[in-house]
Amino acid sequence: MKNKSSILKWILIGVVVCLVLAFPAFAKNRYQVHIVNNIGIWILLSLGLNIAQGYGGQFNLALGALWGVGAYTAALLQTRLGVPFWINLPLGIIAGATMAAFVGLPSFKVRSHYLAIVTIGLGEVINLFLVNQDELTGGALGINRIKPPSLFGFPIDTDERFYYLILIMVILGYLIGRQIVGHRIGRAFRALRDDFQAARAMGVNTGFYQILAFAISGAYAGAAGVLFAHWNSYISPDIFEFKSALIVLTMVMIGGMGSLPGSVVGTVLLLVLNEYLRVFEEWQLVGYGVAIIVVVLFVPGGVVELVRRFGNFRQRWSAGLTKEKSNMEEQQNVP
Amino acid sequence: MNTTSIFLQTIIGGIGIGSLYALIALGYSMTFRSMGLVNFAQGSIYMVGTYFGIIWYRGMVMGLHVPYAAAFFIGLLCNVLLGLLLERIFRPLAKLDLMLMLLATIGLGFILDNLFTIIFGAEGFAVDSPLSNTPWKIYGIRVLPQMALLIGVSAVLMVGLQLFLSKTKLGMAMRASAVDYEIARTMGIATNRMNALALSIGCMMSAAAGILAAPIVYVAPSMGAAVGLKGFAAAILGGLGSIPGAIAGGLVFGVLEALSSGYVSSQWTKAIAFIVMVVVLMVKPSGIVGEITIEKV
Repeated sequence: MKNKSSILKWILIGVVVCLVLAFPAFAKNRYQVHIVNNIGIWILLSLGLNIAQGYGGQFNLALGALWGVGAYTAALLQTRLGVPFWINLPLGIIAGATMAAFVGLPSFKVRSHYLAIVTIGLGEVINLFLVNQDELTGGALGINRIKPPSLFGFPIDTDERFYYLILIMVILGYLIGRQIVGHRIGRAFRALRDDFQAARAMGVNTGFYQILAFAISGAYAGAAGVLFAHWNSYISPDIFEFKSALIVLTMVMIGGMGSLPGSVVGTVLLLVLNEYLRVFEEWQLVGYGVAIIVVVLFVPGGVVELVRRFGNFRQRWSAGLTKEKSNMEEQQNVP
Repeated sequence: MNTTSIFLQTIIGGIGIGSLYALIALGYSMTFRSMGLVNFAQGSIYMVGTYFGIIWYRGMVMGLHVPYAAAFFIGLLCNVLLGLLLERIFRPLAKLDLMLMLLATIGLGFILDNLFTIIFGAEGFAVDSPLSNTPWKIYGIRVLPQMALLIGVSAVLMVGLQLFLSKTKLGMAMRASAVDYEIARTMGIATNRMNALALSIGCMMSAAAGILAAPIVYVAPSMGAAVGLKGFAAAILGGLGSIPGAIAGGLVFGVLEALSSGYVSSQWTKAIAFIVMVVVLMVKPSGIVGEITIEKV
């Protein structure tokens, strides 16, 4: 019985992997691939936010701006100095992480909604820098003609080719995230989130881990930014702001705060729904608002909690059946 | 014009926009002190209140051109009702984790913003001032009559609120329920009703700010986002939950903004205001008035 289910599981995984790998082949049109690429980039962002906030309890609403830091690092290095993608990627990640560490410095002094507003404020300052320093960043017009990456002379310039690059990045990001949350750092983060004072008393270097949480989210945002700049070939400051951070927060909430699969599920759900609900135009946005409130009030753990609850229900249901049986037997034994 | 009068003019402009922020900040603080909830939809409530009043004034409802003063009171009344409704929605939220609360109020703001975009369209409109558009000259300082009205009515509202909270029995009951919910309940205060009242007052203040400022700023469904954020920054600056703090924070924030746009660079106005806020939080997290101590690390 057990063997059979594990074989089934592996077949299922195999099918999913094949489908994911072959996706550009059976996608109906280019646009679908484009949407999926976009989803990949947002998954990186929501993984970053989930590690910092869901595990580390550190609000980072400057995430949208940090995404911009990564994107502008890549765009400027590419258009001004001709630096290729493969060098921009680590540089963008470092830039995002460093900037995030600075954004996280106030977390030594302030917490909860105060930290939230401080990170919002610092994010807006970064965004204003992108808008106002027009000699450097091109101002509100942004930067265009960012060259796509190439691998040994093979240009990764179409959505189909980019799909695999983004896929690899997302898988890497997910695996690295799992390593982070599953080990020492993850345990320290959870201790920090659940009880700050107790974590401190247990000898967790709270300051270090707070900054680390910010830096990790910044690194993910930086990677997403570099990918976005090279993929889209055009960037402008209008998406690198607070609103994007809010969208990522919504994705994480709907998927499941403090769960990496939740990040993936939430992002896919929101962006796919976005495509299907486009016919409703503005009402779709109202629907998002309602969805957020419903999730918060009834399933604060998001989709992941919903699945878990369903699992528990099934367990209890089957457990209940056997219990009932034994109860009946007991009753029969009583004279 | 000499430098002194330019300086004074900048200060007056700052006080005008600062009264707007102060009224919004009062909304945040009233909600926070009664329910322990940071209402990130406050900016949207400000926008909604503005529309509730201005649509009557501009004759957008059945072509009725209501006088400005009447439209003002209609807007206030509508937002008071909105506040009563919001208390029902927020009641289950007050027990939740901060992040969930924050997200739910953001969701609510999202709903309001987009509903009003659907009803009134994304493009906004300019509103004519009921007073004349030629500025008064006082000792060489030019002041728009609408700006004077904004400052004057805001001052009356703020003083009125302070008197209401400190002198009337109802106001004292509200303060009691804000200080200790459980004890206030045992003393026979209907705490839920006090929360509803606090929220309504907060919403009313936001509507007043919006309708008074409408002829100066531009009215659009997206008008709440930036003002909401600045109002929150102002509330934090003064000390979240404190009424005098919200007023002081709003005025300081407005004046700072005006000074930075007048003397440094108008592009960096927003950044400078936020940087000051971050610095204040780092140095004195309880805000400049510092009535209520907050959790420090």
